[in-house]
Amino acid sequence: MELKRRGFLGVALVGASVLAAPAVLGSGRPRVVVVGGGSGGATAARHLAMQSGGAIDVTLVEPSRTYYTCYFSNLALGGVWSFDDLGHSYANLAAVHGINVVHDWAVGVDRDARTVTLAGGGVLPWDRLVLSPGIDFVDGAVPGWDVAAQGRMPHAYKGGTQAALLAAQVEGMREGGVFAMVAPPNPYRCPPGPYERISMVAHVLTQRNPTAKILLVDPKESFSKQALFEEGWQRHYPGMIERIDPLFGADNVSVDPEAMTVDIDGVIEQVDVCNVIPAQKAGRIAEVAGLTNDAGWVPVDPHTMKARADEAVFVLGDASQQGDMPKSGYSANSQAKVAVNVIRHELLDTRLFPARYSNTCWSLIAPDDGVKVGAAYDATDEKIATRDSFISQTGEDTDLRAATFAESIGWYRGITADMFG
Amino acid sequence: MMAILAATAQGGAMAGDVEWGAYLAAECTTCHRRDGSADGIPAITGWPEAGFVAALRAYRGGARSSQTMQTVARGLDDGDIAALAAYFATYPPAAD
Ligand SMILES: Cc1cc2nc3c(=O)[nH]c(=O)nc-3n(C[C@H](O)[C@H](O)[C@H](O)COP(=O)(O)OP(=O)(O)OC[C@H]3O[C@@H](n4cnc5c(N)ncnc54)[C@H](O)[C@@H]3O)c2cc1C
Ligand code: HEC
Repeated sequence: MELKRRGFLGVALVGASVLAAPAVLGSGRPRVVVVGGGSGGATAARHLAMQSGGAIDVTLVEPSRTYYTCYFSNLALGGVWSFDDLGHSYANLAAVHGINVVHDWAVGVDRDARTVTLAGGGVLPWDRLVLSPGIDFVDGAVPGWDVAAQGRMPHAYKGGTQAALLAAQVEGMREGGVFAMVAPPNPYRCPPGPYERISMVAHVLTQRNPTAKILLVDPKESFSKQALFEEGWQRHYPGMIERIDPLFGADNVSVDPEAMTVDIDGVIEQVDVCNVIPAQKAGRIAEVAGLTNDAGWVPVDPHTMKARADEAVFVLGDASQQGDMPKSGYSANSQAKVAVNVIRHELLDTRLFPARYSNTCWSLIAPDDGVKVGAAYDATDEKIATRDSFISQTGEDTDLRAATFAESIGWYRGITADMFG
Repeated sequence: MMAILAATAQGGAMAGDVEWGAYLAAECTTCHRRDGSADGIPAITGWPEAGFVAALRAYRGGARSSQTMQTVARGLDDGDIAALAAYFATYPPAAD
């Protein structure tokens, strides 16, 4: 490790001269287009602009004017955080960091001509392309459900207004009603996310509607932080949550949004609120760019976050298939920093450092009862591989759990400043 | 105390690689804010380098508890810690 690192450090800094890599640069500043202004894309755009001091022309393409984080949206649903505090503006990226923020959809990628086409008709040329489009849902994953049904049966699994809609539905539930969730199969964004949501819904119902029930229909045999969640559910919400696993037919589920029913292996349940989180794949633009595999994700080089299929295209966050890192905002932020180091090296001849990655996922089981799982990772040729890891323990005292929750607030403030500050 | 002195001496020998420190620091700023503000996670800007080095070594060796920081610190050798101390020392301490 030490020797390898010195090898990297030995690469000389040639200065941020535009002339340093004429083959790439042509006459003007080198151009980087970033598609998707979320955890991976906003981090990449901001760090590229900050660290290159204007030597790289950075364009960020993102349709929304406000980014609503999925992280902490479960807490907002639980009344522990506010929905307003989930929104973040792109103003600083443009005004402070000089990024050209274009509010539009990317609809085409020409990897030979090195251009991105926008829904509004514009064409953006690039020397390096960064794609961080997040996820889309697999069509037909839950029979009976499609995006047209998201008003009646919200997914609340992308940023925007879905989480607030789900919260309103929970609030409006009849006394003693049933909240159902159809959980997704692996791999999907935020492995503990569905279970944190169950916890926060249970918290709200325990306070306002204590005879209500929660039905968790889960196609997976086991799930992230399972022992911690189950211990917490038993303690805070005894008798409220029933989980149905594949042994009891949870891998054969369909829904009827009109009738508000869930069919679990032939058994029809009438429910009052139904949160459907379908199976997932890379955001559509990754497929349009011709970079996805049969499973719908983009295989990437663990050392650089470059798509295996194209040296000039970096794919970050949920859309990438990289190995051991969970699909999380933290992971996307960490991957962006590795990509930025490689891009600056290639375009400005700055020093190239070895890839390092990290992630922590905090979850809230009840107010002040926070848990976490985290790891540090290295790049191998095959995958991003776990080097070291930790997880909260069952039976921890309440002070430690409260400190873990406080830490998660610090992280939320930290990562959003790191993306939008 | 001996450990701190040794680290400082070694840090002195390896100090100056602020660029390496800046690259490593990108991992820290997901949690610790560069502007020195703190809300649930302490500020780490503007520290005397020796104290910063001692804190990270204490996490790495397990003398100071925190699953989060122990995992971060176990991934850092003495040269990394010195580079980070030099980098964060260049930022002003917490404003408020
Ligand atoms: C309920 C829930 C809780 C979560 N909690 C946590 C947590 O506590 N911690 C954590 O680390 N992660 C958490 N996550 C996961 C986290 O939200 C994602 O993993 C992370 O945001 C992925 O980053 P990304 O850059 O890949 O995608 P995103 O952050 O989703 O960003 C993608 C962006 O790309 C834009 N986009 C898509 N297609 C196009 C296009 N064609 N043209 C232009 N723009 C486009 C979208 O508008 C979007 O803004 C949670 C997720 C959920 C659903
Ligand atoms: C996942 C979030 C996270 C990351 C990433 C992180 N830290 Fe920390 N750090 C914390 C927390 C939480 C504490 C407080 C721990 C405790 O209770 O002692 C802390 C404490 C510290 C302290 C002691 C502060 C004090 O007031 O005593 C230092 C120094 C420090 N971190 C440096 C770093 C450096 C350097 C990095 C990057 C290499 C880093 N941290 C990355 C969360 C993080």
